[in-house]
Amino acid sequence: MLIYSMLTYRFMVVALIVAILLGIALPLVGSLAVYKRLSTSGEALAHSSLAGIVIGLVSGLNTLAMSIVSCIVAFLIIELLRKRFHKYAELTITVVLAVSIALIGILSGYTNTNNFQSYLFGSILLIEDSLLYVTIALVVLILLFNFIFFPQIFSSYYSESESKVSGIKVPVINFIQGVLLSLTIAIGQKVVGLFVVSSMIILPTAISLQLKKGYLFTTISSVVFSVSSMVIGLVISYYLNIKPGASILLVAVSFLFMTLSYSIIRSRIYRKRRD
Amino acid sequence: MIRFDNVCFSFPQGEVLKNVNFCLNDGQFIGILGPNGGGKSTFLKLALGLLKPTSGTVERKEEKIAYISQSTSLGDISFPATVEEIVYLGLVDNKVSFSYLKNRKRVEETLKELCIYDIRKRLISELSGGQLQKVKIAKALVSSPSLLVLDEPDIGMDILSHQHLLDVISSLHEKKKGILFVSHHPEDLKNADEIFFIEDGAMITYQEEKERGHIHVDL
Repeated sequence: MLIYSMLTYRFMVVALIVAILLGIALPLVGSLAVYKRLSTSGEALAHSSLAGIVIGLVSGLNTLAMSIVSCIVAFLIIELLRKRFHKYAELTITVVLAVSIALIGILSGYTNTNNFQSYLFGSILLIEDSLLYVTIALVVLILLFNFIFFPQIFSSYYSESESKVSGIKVPVINFIQGVLLSLTIAIGQKVVGLFVVSSMIILPTAISLQLKKGYLFTTISSVVFSVSSMVIGLVISYYLNIKPGASILLVAVSFLFMTLSYSIIRSRIYRKRRD
Repeated sequence: MIRFDNVCFSFPQGEVLKNVNFCLNDGQFIGILGPNGGGKSTFLKLALGLLKPTSGTVERKEEKIAYISQSTSLGDISFPATVEEIVYLGLVDNKVSFSYLKNRKRVEETLKELCIYDIRKRLISELSGGQLQKVKIAKALVSSPSLLVLDEPDIGMDILSHQHLLDVISSLHEKKKGILFVSHHPEDLKNADEIFFIEDGAMITYQEEKERGHIHVDL
């Protein structure tokens, strides 16, 4: 009954649909960052997308388009530098983060900071129809790509060199997944904000990894955890009147604690049995 | 078939391979020996197309190549995948395919062949070094490759698994599959058609190396 009263508001229905859609998209594209050991790249991409928004606000261009463009540019820079830094790949993230923060710092002086605030925490309750359609299109694209090329994506996450020997076009797979990741971050940031989007790229996979199962199981369960966190978080925020982004993150972190405890207990039992 | 014509390769730090001429014909078993840092791994990467030569040409006939990398590549071991999932990856190439059931049968056969069917649901991070190496071999063999490339695959293997690997290699050789085997142990290459030595970036035959007095094992 509680849920029903919530669904009498159109903005809540739209918010719920977008939350489910983003919940599906985030872990699927976020896996790229997790398995390439660039977990914090979400942070860098989200900041570069924010830099794009500020450029949009200052120049009067479309903010969503600008954030998408700068997010993709940032991703390409990370990919390029990642190969140069090799084992120190995570350094590239700091470089991109630094450039983005510098840009935000300089340009935000020329724009209205009130407007700017909404991008830090998102505005899931104020979603325009156009953004809803863009999100639907993006999620369909992500699902199609991840379903059709599931084996190739799995293979290139496991070992880039062995995949190249098998003839898999690893750079192409990485590039497409990276562009989809950038698009998800740019759109997700508008909806749930910078902080939530950069965490929700990583958290669902982190939750599932604790269950210590195979790749297929980890992938599917990360989507389940992600969608659950988004929906439960949104419902809680409605009834407790708190910021949706914050409650979504809290739900996700509680899931992480649960699977983490499960993993610790499981390995204790396993060790005892062996002794 | 793999053919090197006057291949040189250098990193910014210096030259790794100098004027290498080499040919592996269909069905041939070629062994490669040499000290650490001599250029063996670079040679393999060039042969597999993972690196491009600085000068000269590497020619490779289109064929199904399977590659077993060194056992101690830590990066992939922590990856969340089960034994059967990794073996299944051996069947994945650039083509989009949904023949899941057919593939499943082939994966099961290979798992049984290598005696790892019982551990098929285990995560690769929970395996011993020897078991992991068997999984890598299964992944390489599942696609019935026409050329098998091995890069010191025996590190961490017990004597039995090591012998099993050698048996697998000789049975593949009998089936006229090409084999390119980089090893530390000359005894592993007893059945090889030819053995080469890579030292200081140059490739010489086993006989030449023996004449120099560096090795004393007769093969």
